[in-house]
Amino acid sequence: MTVEMSTYVVAEVSQQADLVKTIRLLDVPTAMPGQFFLIWLPGIDEKPISVSNQTSAGTEFTICGVGPWSTAMLQVEAGDRVGLRGPFGNGFALADNTLLVGGGMGVAPLRYLAHRLMEEGRSFDLVVGARDASSLIFREEFGRWGARFATDNGDLGHVGTVTELLSEMLRLRAYDSLYACGPEGMLAAVRVIADEHEMAYQLALERLMKCGIGLCGHCCMEGSGLRLCVEGPVLTREMLDGTAEFGLPHRDGSGRRRT
Amino acid sequence: MVELPVTLAGIKLHNPTVLASGILGVSASSAALAVAHGAGAVTLKSCGAEPRLGHRGPTILPVPGGLLNAVGLSNPGAAAVAHEIRDFRGRCEVPLVASIFGRTEAEFGEVAAIICDAHPALLEVNVSCPNVSSEFGTPFGLDHDATARITRIVKDIAGTIPVFIKLSPQAHNIGSLARRCQDAGADGITAINSVGPGMAIDVYTRRPILSNLSGGLSGRAVLPVAVRCVYEIAQNVSIPIIGTGGITTPEDALQMILAGATAVGIGTGVHSTGISIFQEVCRGLSEYLEESGFTGLDDIRGAANDR
Repeated sequence: MTVEMSTYVVAEVSQQADLVKTIRLLDVPTAMPGQFFLIWLPGIDEKPISVSNQTSAGTEFTICGVGPWSTAMLQVEAGDRVGLRGPFGNGFALADNTLLVGGGMGVAPLRYLAHRLMEEGRSFDLVVGARDASSLIFREEFGRWGARFATDNGDLGHVGTVTELLSEMLRLRAYDSLYACGPEGMLAAVRVIADEHEMAYQLALERLMKCGIGLCGHCCMEGSGLRLCVEGPVLTREMLDGTAEFGLPHRDGSGRRRT
Repeated sequence: MVELPVTLAGIKLHNPTVLASGILGVSASSAALAVAHGAGAVTLKSCGAEPRLGHRGPTILPVPGGLLNAVGLSNPGAAAVAHEIRDFRGRCEVPLVASIFGRTEAEFGEVAAIICDAHPALLEVNVSCPNVSSEFGTPFGLDHDATARITRIVKDIAGTIPVFIKLSPQAHNIGSLARRCQDAGADGITAINSVGPGMAIDVYTRRPILSNLSGGLSGRAVLPVAVRCVYEIAQNVSIPIIGTGGITTPEDALQMILAGATAVGIGTGVHSTGISIFQEVCRGLSEYLEESGFTGLDDIRGAANDR
């Protein structure tokens, strides 16, 4: 882990969807799937982004343009420099016979997880959801692993939610545990299904983070106080049980609870 | 096992470690995390009258020997913080220190009124944030007269709630400034706020890394500055001191106590040592007292001042 800031030259930029790009950097410290780095765009801001793949060819971060920082990140070109601190957080523990559930931009860390599970010869299946086919990123890669897709508008695969697809998969066969990353409403639904099936799970959450090193308190979960940047962002059932704000509005940059 | 209770302006702490302001402390839950790991008291992040988002990132930056920060006093506003204080008091037994700031002298009073209504155990007055000067002007804490006036304003409102003034190491003659606070009615001093401010520059993009350009230095590197400040303050006041700045090990905490601190603030150490730092410092303090044949922290407080 490199807690101090270092800047890296962007080796390559690729585009996955209208507002989604992936940057590849070289010689980044080794990270586990589910871990994240704080990425500094000089003059703009610094935000936490999880690794979407890491190989000998470099480390990839996939970014969706939604706010000032991420929109500016979409303008970054090969040869530009960005700052990195990390990796931070606990990451996913690798396990056998699992089902991966991804929604929206949450598929990015699951992509790296799937690559690592493949490398280690661990069996897994994959269900992936998105609004429509055009926003379903890394579709070909996921397709090669036999992923099943769900789209809200029925563009591709199952018409409806990825959690409906999850329930269907669980009727077909038994898995030892679930991995999930996506919108918190989706994660809350995954948790309910996992509880019904008495399955272990690892859910990757997202919160505003200022420091990445367990100091600022912005990513502390209500109730348990767990710091998503240190004890998380991947939470198990035991960690979520003491947490009061899962699936509910959380704090903004001032520390105010949204309602 | 020598016990470590201390009394801070009448408030009993089961051990002298205090979570410093600005670390965790955004919410009752985040402060409770420090309690679960052994903190003797916790300080919330400073709040003002209105919600503030603070500076853009990077706001917190590890550097060799410590940490630079320029968070920019982000806070949800006094009313929301009062809610967190009530939430905390419903869940935790350990004393809670609320920290307040104001953009004007009068605003310190307004914020104190809202916060005191929620009954924190202590009130800390942050006159010394080094990271908002472009917006607020020179920190009040560098001006002895302004600091004394703010102390009086807040103490009038706080009533029986003890008021601690958090001082800046950049203040000229910190011992005499602490004396002014005591004379103005302060019940205690917290020292020190972060040092500098400092700056870190990325050599490849050739620009300062913090969005605020500069930020206060904390962590191990500032310990000697903090110890010297606490030593000078102790020679000038009879009110208790929360010695804060760079405490990473039990020996660091001992230096603070030997310099005259009653309690020790821990902030950056939560990162450099980990959240176990409260327990580790307490264990080390207890072992030191036992090995040296002392019965409690009262036996050694300010001992370095007696020579």
